[in-house]
Amino acid sequence: MSSDDGSSKKVSRKPRYSRFTQQELPACKPILTPALVIGILMCLGIISIPIGLLALSASKNVVEVVDRYDDVCIPSTDQKVGFIKDPATNKTCIRTFTIPKKMRKPVYVYYQLDNFYQNHRRYVKSRSDRQLWNPKAESSTTVCDPEGQTGDGKPIVPCGLIAWSLFNDTYMLSKNDAALQINKKDIAWRSDRTHKFSSNIYPKNFQNGTLIGGGKLDESIPLSQQEDLMVWMRTSALPTFRKLYGKIETDLEANEKITVTIQNNYNTYSFNGKKKLVISTATWIGGKNDFIGKMYMAVGGTSIVLGVIFSLLYVFKPRPLGDPSYLSWNKSPTLD
Amino acid sequence: MKRYVYINDDNLAKDIYCDNRISNRKYTILNFLPKNLWEQFSRFMNQYFLLIACLQLWSLITPVNPASTWGPLILIFAVSSSKEAWDDYNRYLLDKKANEKEIWIVRQGIRKLIQAQDICIGNIVWLRENDEVPCDLLLLGTADPQGFCYVETAALDGETDLKTRSIPSACMGIDVDLLHKIKGVIECPSPNKDIRRFDANMRLFPPFLDNDIFPLTIKNTLLQSCYLRNTEWACGVAVYTGNQTKLGMCRGIAEPKLTAVDAMIDKLTGAVFVFQIVVVIVLGIAGNVFKDKQGRKLWYVQYPKEGPWYELLVIPLRFELLCSIMIPISIKVSLDLAKSLYAKFIDWDVEMVDPETGIRSNAANQAISEDLGQVEYILTDKTGTLTENKMIFKRCCISGRFYGNESGDALTDAQLLNAASTGSADVILFLKVMAICNTVIPVRSKSGTISYKALSQDEEALVCASARLRMVLENKNGNILDINFNASPMQYEVLDTLEFTSDRKRMSVVVRECQSGELFILSKGADETILPLTYSGQQVRTFAEAVEQYAQMGLRTLCLAWRKLEEDEYQEWTSMFKEANSTLVDRERRVAEVCQRLERDFEILGVAAIEDRLQEGVPETIEILRKAGINFWMLTGDKMSTAIQIALSCNFVSPEPKGQILIIDGKTEDEVCRSLDRVLLTTRITESESKQDVAFVVDGWALEIALKHYRKPFTELAILSRTAICCRVTPSQKAQLVELLKLCDYRTLAIGDGGNDVRMIQQADIGVGISGREGLQAARAADYSIGKFRFLKRLILVHGRYSYNRTAFLSQYSFYKSFLICFIQIFFSFISGVSGTSLFNTVSLMAYNVFYTSVPVLFSVLDKDLSERTVMQHPQILFDCQSGRLLNPSTFAGWFGRSLFHAIVVFVITIHSYAFEKSVMEEVAMVAVSGCIWLQAFVVALETNSFTIFQHLAIWGNLVGFYAINWIVSSIPTSGMYTIMFRLCEQPSYWITMILIVATGMCPVLALKYLRYTYRPSRINLLQQSERLGGPILSSGIIEPKSRSSLDKDIPTDSVYEPLLSESPSATRRSAGPTQRLDSVQSQSPPHSTHTRKDN
Repeated sequence: MSSDDGSSKKVSRKPRYSRFTQQELPACKPILTPALVIGILMCLGIISIPIGLLALSASKNVVEVVDRYDDVCIPSTDQKVGFIKDPATNKTCIRTFTIPKKMRKPVYVYYQLDNFYQNHRRYVKSRSDRQLWNPKAESSTTVCDPEGQTGDGKPIVPCGLIAWSLFNDTYMLSKNDAALQINKKDIAWRSDRTHKFSSNIYPKNFQNGTLIGGGKLDESIPLSQQEDLMVWMRTSALPTFRKLYGKIETDLEANEKITVTIQNNYNTYSFNGKKKLVISTATWIGGKNDFIGKMYMAVGGTSIVLGVIFSLLYVFKPRPLGDPSYLSWNKSPTLD
Repeated sequence: MKRYVYINDDNLAKDIYCDNRISNRKYTILNFLPKNLWEQFSRFMNQYFLLIACLQLWSLITPVNPASTWGPLILIFAVSSSKEAWDDYNRYLLDKKANEKEIWIVRQGIRKLIQAQDICIGNIVWLRENDEVPCDLLLLGTADPQGFCYVETAALDGETDLKTRSIPSACMGIDVDLLHKIKGVIECPSPNKDIRRFDANMRLFPPFLDNDIFPLTIKNTLLQSCYLRNTEWACGVAVYTGNQTKLGMCRGIAEPKLTAVDAMIDKLTGAVFVFQIVVVIVLGIAGNVFKDKQGRKLWYVQYPKEGPWYELLVIPLRFELLCSIMIPISIKVSLDLAKSLYAKFIDWDVEMVDPETGIRSNAANQAISEDLGQVEYILTDKTGTLTENKMIFKRCCISGRFYGNESGDALTDAQLLNAASTGSADVILFLKVMAICNTVIPVRSKSGTISYKALSQDEEALVCASARLRMVLENKNGNILDINFNASPMQYEVLDTLEFTSDRKRMSVVVRECQSGELFILSKGADETILPLTYSGQQVRTFAEAVEQYAQMGLRTLCLAWRKLEEDEYQEWTSMFKEANSTLVDRERRVAEVCQRLERDFEILGVAAIEDRLQEGVPETIEILRKAGINFWMLTGDKMSTAIQIALSCNFVSPEPKGQILIIDGKTEDEVCRSLDRVLLTTRITESESKQDVAFVVDGWALEIALKHYRKPFTELAILSRTAICCRVTPSQKAQLVELLKLCDYRTLAIGDGGNDVRMIQQADIGVGISGREGLQAARAADYSIGKFRFLKRLILVHGRYSYNRTAFLSQYSFYKSFLICFIQIFFSFISGVSGTSLFNTVSLMAYNVFYTSVPVLFSVLDKDLSERTVMQHPQILFDCQSGRLLNPSTFAGWFGRSLFHAIVVFVITIHSYAFEKSVMEEVAMVAVSGCIWLQAFVVALETNSFTIFQHLAIWGNLVGFYAINWIVSSIPTSGMYTIMFRLCEQPSYWITMILIVATGMCPVLALKYLRYTYRPSRINLLQQSERLGGPILSSGIIEPKSRSSLDKDIPTDSVYEPLLSESPSATRRSAGPTQRLDSVQSQSPPHSTHTRKDN
C-alpha cells in the first residue's frame, strides 16, 4: 500500500527535460552518398597502394637463404628414425651455399621446423611458468605431465613437454674456411631473461629419464642464461615456424660461400617434419614477407576499381537519392 | 470456504489466521540465494552457461582458464541478483514502515497502542480522521450519529472521490464505551480479491440486541489502504489481515510477457545451438581421426598408448567448450539494460505528459518495448479512452418535447429554463429524478459553493445540470436529502438504493417525500432496460425516437422514469430485498431478481442526452496509426448507433463513399449465421478490390453467438476486416476478442481506462492504460500507462519503433561478435592439430565478451535511424517493424555471413603477416584480437545511423580502452601476456596489419551496403535519404544535420515531399509544423470539428 503512494507520486512529477532524456542529443547522421562512398574507396586505394609498394620493397630488400637439410643429412635408408634416435651414430652433416646478395649485419640465423605442432593442446599446456621463476615452486609440476617428475618422483627442472623436446641441432658456420662467429647472446626476449626465467634456478633431473626427448641443458648454467631454451619455449602459433639460433655480427658479401656443419640430432622423421636453416637480414617489416605488400596492392587495387565502377554507375545509371516515388505506398494506393 | 470472526475475543482465532504482517517480499534472507538462483537457472540460456562453466572445471578439456566463463557468468548473476535483492529490500522497507505503524486497538476492554503488524482477526481497531486503514475492517461505529463515514479508496481502485461507508444496522446506536466490550460473530467468505463484494452476516452476542442475523455488504467495510476522511473517528473489527486482505489478494504476480523479438532471439539461439553441436561433432570426429592418424606420431606430444574410457569424448568436449562462446553470454544483460533504458525513455518523455493533469507516461513493464513497434491490432475502449469522459448534459426530451435542439445545449434553451422556473410538472419531475436518483455526495465548501463527488460521470453531469435548472441537491445527511427548488427547500428520505450493475444497466432509488410521506421509485438507465418497463398504454415511440436521434449525434442517452409506490407494496418488497441482500451465495442475482419486482409499470419522464467529448487529437492519432498498418477494433458498452457515430468521427471508418459499414445482428443463431455470412461475403469482395474501407459492426449478443457457434467464419472476418466495432460488449467478451486475435498470431495492443478493461488489458500482448477519470485501475494493470489517447502514436511510432530497431541491431550484433571470435578459434584448431587449443588467452576472451564488444554496441540504444518527425509523417514505415524485417532468419544469416567473412579476413591476414619468426603464440593471439576489435568498431560505426557524442565516445573510446587494458595486463610480469602488447605496438608491421584487416574487412561490406542503399534501397533507406538530403524538412528541423552543400546540387531540393503527402487530406496542415501544433488547433475547435472537417 505504501508502494502505491510512491508510484503515484512518481507518476505525477513532471519529468525533467534534457536532451538526453528526450533522445534529442545532437547527432551527426551520415548517409552513404555516392560521393562519400566513392571518396572513401578512392582514398583507400590511394593510401593502400603506396603502403603496399613500401612493404613489398622492404620485403624485397631482405636477403634470405633457406636450406632444407633434414632429407639430405640422413642416410637414405628406411631406418631414418632408428638412425636419429641412436646416440652412437655420427650425425655430422656439411652443407654449403652461396650468399646471393650482400647481407648487412646483423645477419640472423634461424632454424625452421615445418609440420611441428608447437601449438598442440597437450604440448602448450605442459609447462610450469611458476617453476621457472620461483625457486620455491620447484615441485609445482602437476601441469607438466607427462614430463613433470622423474620415475622416482623427483621434480624435473624445467619440467614439461616443451622443455623436454628442446631443439638440439647445432650449426657451425664458416666462410672461406674461417669460422664465422655466431653470437648466441641476447637471442631470447629480454623480458624472458629478466622476468620469466630465474637466475637462481638451475636445470635439475633434466633428460634423465628413460625417454630422451630433445636437447640437454648444462646444469651449471642458470635458466636465465639458457637462451636456446627461452627461444624454444616461446611456442609458435603455427605449425611452420622459425626460431632464432644466433646472430652473425659481420656483413656477408655476395657470392661468398658459406659452409655449415650441422649436428643433425633432432628427430623430425617420425612425423614427416622438415628442418631448414635460414640465414636472413631484417628490415622494418621483419623478415621476408611479401604477403602484406601483395595484400595491400590487392585491396588498394580493388577499392580503386570499385570506386571507378561506382562512379561510372553513378554517371550512366544515376538514381536520385531519396526519391519518394520509390516508396511502395506511393507506388500503389494500398499498403502491401 | 467460510471464516468465522469472533469480535473482540482475545483468546480465539489468534493461531488460526495470520497476523497483520504485510509482506510483499519475494525472498527472505535465508531463501534468497537458493530461490533466486533457482529462478535464474530455470532459463535455458543460464542452464547452458552453467553446464559450460562446470565442464570448464575439468582441466583436461578446458581450453582456457575456467574464469573466462565463470567470470562473466558470476557477473551476470550478481547483476541480476543484486537488482532483485535491491528491489526486494525496498519492498521490505516499505512493508516495515506499514507494519510498524502504531494503531489503536482494544485489548481486554481497554484501548491500547500497538504496531499494525500485531493486529489479530477479531480485534477492534480505532481510526482517526485521515488515518490509513491497516487491514480490512468491518465498520462498527463512527463519530457520525447516523453511522456514516467517508473513505478515499484511491490506493485500492484509483477512484479519487469519497465513498460513503455505513455501520451495519445492528450496531446502530451503540454507545462508544459499549463498543469496547462488543461481542459477536461474523460469518464471512474466505479471503478473496473481489474488492466490490463482501457478502457476509453478523450476529451480536447478548447483551447487544438479540440473536438476529444481520446482512453485511462491502458498504460496511473499511478496506486496507483506504483513508478515513471527513469523519472524526471510526472503529471496526478486523476481518482480513496481513496478506489476506482484499488488497493483498489482489496483488497478483503478473505473468511475464515475452515479446516477439525475444521469441525470435530464442529461436535463433536454438538454431545457433544446433549449429554449434554440428560443428562440435564434426571437429570432434576430425580431432579424433587426426589424433589416431597423426597425433601418435608426434613424439613430443607423448600421447599415451592406452587412454581412459572417455578418451573419445575428450576432444569433442574441448570443442564444445571452445565453441560455447558462439552463444553470447552478454546478450541477456545487454538486452536487459537496453530494455530498461527504452522504458526510461518512455517515462522521461515530456511530449507524453498530459498537460492538464501533469500525469506522465509510465512503462510499468520494462521488458516489452519492442512489441510496441510490432503491434498489428489495437483494441480500444471508447468511453474515457477515445473520449474525455467529461460528461456534459446537452439535450433532453421531456414528455415529447425536445430541448436544446436549436442551441445545442439544453441548459441555455430558454424554453427549458422557462419551463423549470414556471414549474411545469413534467419538467419538475424530470429534474427531481436527475437530482435524487444517484449516489452523488454534495460537498459544501467553506465559501458556500456546492461541489459534487460522484462515482459516475453521468450522474455528476445530471446533478450539475439539474442544479443549473434550479433543482439543487444541497445536502445529503445520511438518508436525508435536501433539495432546493426555486429557493423552496424539500426533503427526501432515501429508503433503498437499487444499485447499478452492468447487467441491469439501470439504477433506482426508493424515496419518501418527508412532507407528504409519499413513496416513489425513481429510476434511470439505458433505454433498452427502461423502455420495456413502462405501464401498459404509455407511448414510448417519441422517447425511442429521441434516443435514436441523440445516438446519431454520438450522445449518450439515459431514460428517466418513475412510479408512485403504495406503502404496503413497499413493505412487502423491502423484506424480500433485505433477505436477498443477506444471502451469501449468488447474492447479486438474487438482488437483481428482487429489484425487478419493484421496477415495473414505470412512467417514462424523458430522455437525457449527455455528451462525452472526443479527446484531443484522437482522429489524427487513429488516422496515423491506421496508415501505419495497424487495425483498429473499438470495443464499447455503448449503443450501436452511438458507437458507429463515434467511429466515424474518430476516423475508424472513412465516410460513406469510401467507407462501408456492415452490421452483424440477429437475436438467434440462424439470424446471426446468415448475417455473418452476408458480411463475410461482402468483405471478401471489397477486400479483393482493396479500394474500400470496410468495417463491421457487431453487438454483444450477436458476438456471443458468433464466438460460440461460428468461430471460424468470425475469425476469417476478423482477419479480413481492418476495422471492427463491437458494441454492448462485456469485459469478458473484450478479453475473448483479444484472445481470438492472439490465436491468429497477431500482436495485439489493448487500450482502456476503466475497471471493465482490465481483463482485456491483461490478456493482450501489450496493455495500455489511460490514467483518466475512471481511476487508475486500468493503468495499474497495464504495461504502459499514458495520460491521453493521442500519446499512443508517439508510444508506438517513436518508442516502439526505435526499441524494435535498436534491439534488432543489438541482438544480431551480439551474435556477430561471438561468431567472429568463435570462427577464429575454429580455424585455428585446423592448424593446431585439431586438438582444441584456444588461440586466445583467458583475459582476452573474458574481456572481449563482456567489455570490448559489449560497451560500444550498448550505445546503439541512442541510435535513431529516422527522425521522429519523419516517422510521424510516414507512419507506413512501421510496416517494416510489424513484419519483423530487421530481425529474422535472413537478416541473421547476413550477420552470420559477415562474421564468417571477417573471421577469415582476420585469421588469414594474421597468420600470414605474423608467420615464421614472428609466429609467437601470444603475439599472434593479440594481433587477432586487435583485428577483431578494430573490425567490430568499424562495423558498429557503419551500422550506426546517427552519431551522438556518446556513440563516438563509446566506439573510439573503446579502442583506446582496449589498448589501455592490454597495456596494463602486459605490464604484469606474472601474466602470460607480459610485455606482449608493448612489443606489438612498437612494430610497424602490427599497425600495418591492423589497417590491412580493417580495409580488407570493411571494403566489401561498405561496397555491398552502398550498392543496396543506392540501387535497392529499403523503405527506411529511402526515407533516410530524403530526410537528410531533402529541403523542406531540413528547414524546419530542430536538430537535423547540416546539409551537405556539395551534394545539394544533385538532389532536387523542392518537391521531394509533395507526392509523399498528397495522399492525406490534412497534409498541408501537417507539414506546416510539428504535430503538437495540430493538436492545439484541434483543441480550440468545437467538439465536432473533426466530424465536420471530414465531411467537407
